[in-house]
Amino acid sequence: MRNIQTVAANTFREAVRDRVLYNLVFFALLMMGAAILVGQISIGIEQDMIVSLGLTAISAVGILIAVFLGVALVSKEMDKRTLYALLAKPVRRWEFLLGKFLGLVMTLTVNTAAMAAGLYLALWTVKHPLLKSDAYILVAVYLILLKLALIVALALLFSCFTTPFLAILFSAGIYVAGLFAADLRTVHGVDLDPGTLRLMRGISYLLPNFQNFNVMGAVVHGRGVPGVFIWQATLYALLYIAIVLTGAAVVFSRRNLK
Amino acid sequence: MNRRASYGLFVGIAILAGFACVWRLQASVDAERTELRLEADELALRSPAVMKKLSLEYTPLMGAIYWTRAVQYFGEKHQASNQNLDELWPLLDIATTLDPNLLVAYRFGATFLSDAPPRGAGEPEKAVELLERGIKANPDYWRLYQDLGNVYYFDEKNYLKASQAFEEGSRNPAAMPWMKIMAARIAAEGESLETSYALWLDIYQTATDRDIRKNADEHLRLVQAEMDIREIDKAADVYEQRTKHRAIRISELAQAGLLTGQPLDPAGFPYILGEQGKAEPNPKSPLREEWLKEKK
Repeated sequence: MRNIQTVAANTFREAVRDRVLYNLVFFALLMMGAAILVGQISIGIEQDMIVSLGLTAISAVGILIAVFLGVALVSKEMDKRTLYALLAKPVRRWEFLLGKFLGLVMTLTVNTAAMAAGLYLALWTVKHPLLKSDAYILVAVYLILLKLALIVALALLFSCFTTPFLAILFSAGIYVAGLFAADLRTVHGVDLDPGTLRLMRGISYLLPNFQNFNVMGAVVHGRGVPGVFIWQATLYALLYIAIVLTGAAVVFSRRNLK
Repeated sequence: MNRRASYGLFVGIAILAGFACVWRLQASVDAERTELRLEADELALRSPAVMKKLSLEYTPLMGAIYWTRAVQYFGEKHQASNQNLDELWPLLDIATTLDPNLLVAYRFGATFLSDAPPRGAGEPEKAVELLERGIKANPDYWRLYQDLGNVYYFDEKNYLKASQAFEEGSRNPAAMPWMKIMAARIAAEGESLETSYALWLDIYQTATDRDIRKNADEHLRLVQAEMDIREIDKAADVYEQRTKHRAIRISELAQAGLLTGQPLDPAGFPYILGEQGKAEPNPKSPLREEWLKEKK
């Protein structure tokens, strides 16, 4: 446990040193610009625009960090040969992976929390006081964070057995495919034989369904999200992350690092 | 000044001059493109379903962006007095498909579509389609029924359907009590100035957007002028019955005690009696042009 904590803390420190959190400046400028501009160029959607733009930015920036840093977690250590020094110490490979995963999730949590604070600040400037329904935004932010954690796990898995470039492609591809996972179950107007339909159905359940974490449509319009849904999404993310990280640990433990 | 400093100065000036040229050139390109932009409005992707897929999980933001584009498109056309609003419906169609809960796009979009030119696109049937879609996606929002009733009443002149829309909306527990009254009044009277005034007054009082309020205010002034003219004509009819000749000046009606002085229109100009002794807005009044258009 101590090993995991150490690796996680160092991963977080490294991300901060790499100026990953500088993206917050971009986010702050985006939110300030939106808060000033939207009221001038549109009708009646100042609040909707601020919330949807803020959540989109939190999600998009988070995905970029999750994919690019997630892939670099292992490959960078190997390129710099620091991994060999680390594994020579009493640190198991799975501990290293889990620590790396937790460190990046910690970075994403800090980043997402700061962005959420910025979003509330922008919202407060266009309408104050804030309403009780504005608290639902936190639910959306929380679910985005779960999604990002899942993407980090996937990026970590791919980076364990392929090149960084391919790992980025695979991670991005799985993310996009995961957004359409439900559509695979409800293909209409296509003449497919039952076997193929069953196969597609099976694939749709195997793919990580990223729509499980998407409540932006409801939250933007001040509608609440049922507690059951939040629990189910949380459980889904934890389960899926556990499966992916187990897979990553297996692959990484068998990898010849010489 | 040493050689290095003069080189730096030269490069700095060259860069500034370059930007100045770019600025001038862009201004010329913009001037050339102005006509082109108006004629070839840019909407490359017209399929709402494809847009929805391409927006991944960010459909609320894309919906808001498309709604903003619709507002900008409408505003630009309006300012340029260009009545070709062909792209308005596709923009609204995409915005509401991307975000079916974007109430503002249904409400104001329907106004943009239904108002007769030059105020709007003059496509009330599209406005009805948009509102019916909005009601389907947001059945609990009674204001959309009100908007649907308004389109049927003002633009389609279909009073039966207008009454039905108000009636359906009034069944919502959150609806204002006057929805039921409007349903009954329109069913009984069809079009009436009092009903029109009440409907526009509600739009004026509840709209938060400046342009929508201005539009409602213009309609209110016109309807008020119509009601004034109706009263003056009534007085002129009584005057004609009494004196056996039609008054040619409003002052005659006032002198006969049928009016309490010289009535003024909502813009502050005195009404006049036209060639056939019928009241009309003063030629100097800004309301006259709109009034004549409505008469046509």
